Amino acid sequence: MQRTSTPRSTAHRALSLSTLVRRAFTLSALLAFTLCLTSPLGASASPGTQASGTATIAPSLLPNRLGAMGSLRLTVNFGEGPSSGAPLPVRRAVLRFPAGLGIEIPHLRSCSIARLRSRGPSGCSAESELGTGHALAEAMAGSQLITENISLWLFLGPFHNLEPTFEILARGVTPFDEQVVLTGTVVPDHPPYGEDLVLSVPPIPTVPLEPDASMASMSLTVGTNKSPHPNQANTVVVPPSCPAGGFPFAAEITYADGSSGNAFAHATCPGR
Amino acid sequence: MGGLKAQTRLVALLICACFLLAPSALAAETLVVHENFTPDRLGVPTNLSITANFLSNGGAPPSPVIKLTLYAPAGLKIDAHGAGTCSQNTLTLHGPTGCPPNSRAGFGGGVGVVALANTVIHEPYTIDFFFGPTSHGHLALLAYASAVAPVPVELVVTAHEVPAPKPYGLGFSVEIPPISTIPGASLASVESAFATFGATNVAYYETVHGKRTLVHLRGMISPKHCPSGGFPSEGIVEFANGTSLTVNPTIPCPRG
Repeated sequence: MQRTSTPRSTAHRALSLSTLVRRAFTLSALLAFTLCLTSPLGASASPGTQASGTATIAPSLLPNRLGAMGSLRLTVNFGEGPSSGAPLPVRRAVLRFPAGLGIEIPHLRSCSIARLRSRGPSGCSAESELGTGHALAEAMAGSQLITENISLWLFLGPFHNLEPTFEILARGVTPFDEQVVLTGTVVPDHPPYGEDLVLSVPPIPTVPLEPDASMASMSLTVGTNKSPHPNQANTVVVPPSCPAGGFPFAAEITYADGSSGNAFAHATCPGR
Repeated sequence: MGGLKAQTRLVALLICACFLLAPSALAAETLVVHENFTPDRLGVPTNLSITANFLSNGGAPPSPVIKLTLYAPAGLKIDAHGAGTCSQNTLTLHGPTGCPPNSRAGFGGGVGVVALANTVIHEPYTIDFFFGPTSHGHLALLAYASAVAPVPVELVVTAHEVPAPKPYGLGFSVEIPPISTIPGASLASVESAFATFGATNVAYYETVHGKRTLVHLRGMISPKHCPSGGFPSEGIVEFANGTSLTVNPTIPCPRG
């Protein structure tokens, strides 16, 4: 992974995926979560985005500057499902992020899955919260395509074998009051990528005998660029340099029906 | 909201089941039905799930079902507080999207069959269940059955609450009109069906005293006690060829 160098006094807290003892993870991981929620995969190029098939993905960095600390918002939209009208649910996602992308976490705190499930986002410390977002879930039930707005919270999970983990709580209220927690682990990759985020996506239940729900679209913002105390906030660190062609992103998605897909994209380099 | 009485018997739910059980008779001489509660606990909001499959001895489709009567276990109740209602007219004219979301009573589907010349056409269908207006204090369930391909079919029927003999608690009965599809083909019948009733995880926002409030529907409440051998239920299927079939599926008692 990439070591994020930061001029802040909290530099020692900067997380880099490449470190032997990974106290932090690249931002890629966070993005990965996002992707994991969704089904199909599309890569994206910076503000716009093009993706394979009908999916699109749109990352955006704020501020858009090399080496800047701020936030990353990733928006993913998925096209129509093959037959049912709902996208295929994702069961596993391997997300590849550009080398150098990092997260600055001034106060390293994690939240356990059990605590997140039982107490919700408010049960975890603010320091462990890395981002928030929203999504649209779809499911066929009876003759209807039922849609539901989902709220997302991204947390740093406990380290497992010295590896960082991530958790995403996805909660919908109406018409189905349900929540699921997605988890992910980080593994090193080869250039031009820095790290991979490997996500296991659990089924999203609706009602007995009916198909599980899947995500149609989602938007997740990791870090912040609006904190009144930037040195105390979790932020995303843009790599200090950008390779020709932009920052590379890729994903390998395995769907519930056993099929898989790949997507590649480059995010345009930020201006200096 | 409101509408249906709180703590009304679950009978309505069974009605749905009836719809599911619909087919059978001629070639299909055996009907296999499975029922279960989710969550499987006593005296709690639950979903009742039913699957029905006709096992045929021959290749011909079962005779069309013309009437279904279902009896639910005693003690099974429907808490429809917070639920709305839909009318048969609305459902017929506008389909499920025309009904209030909080009038939803369940989901279902299955596979229907039509014989055309020497070919048997299998066609998936869906069912949407809604609470209908009560009549003299009795529940009514609306069922919207829909199939798209290869033959488009739409059907709306109403299941009415009927008295249930012991050891059952409530009964529902529904008459099903002949379902014609394409010229030269047999009337449609059913090969398999499934349905789920209840709303253990369904919630809606409504305005209470000027404040937007999240309301959780309780839906179906499982019986507080389970008789030895499980919860008894009964389904009576009457076919267009004059025969009938009675099944007595038992819902197992919760473990532990």
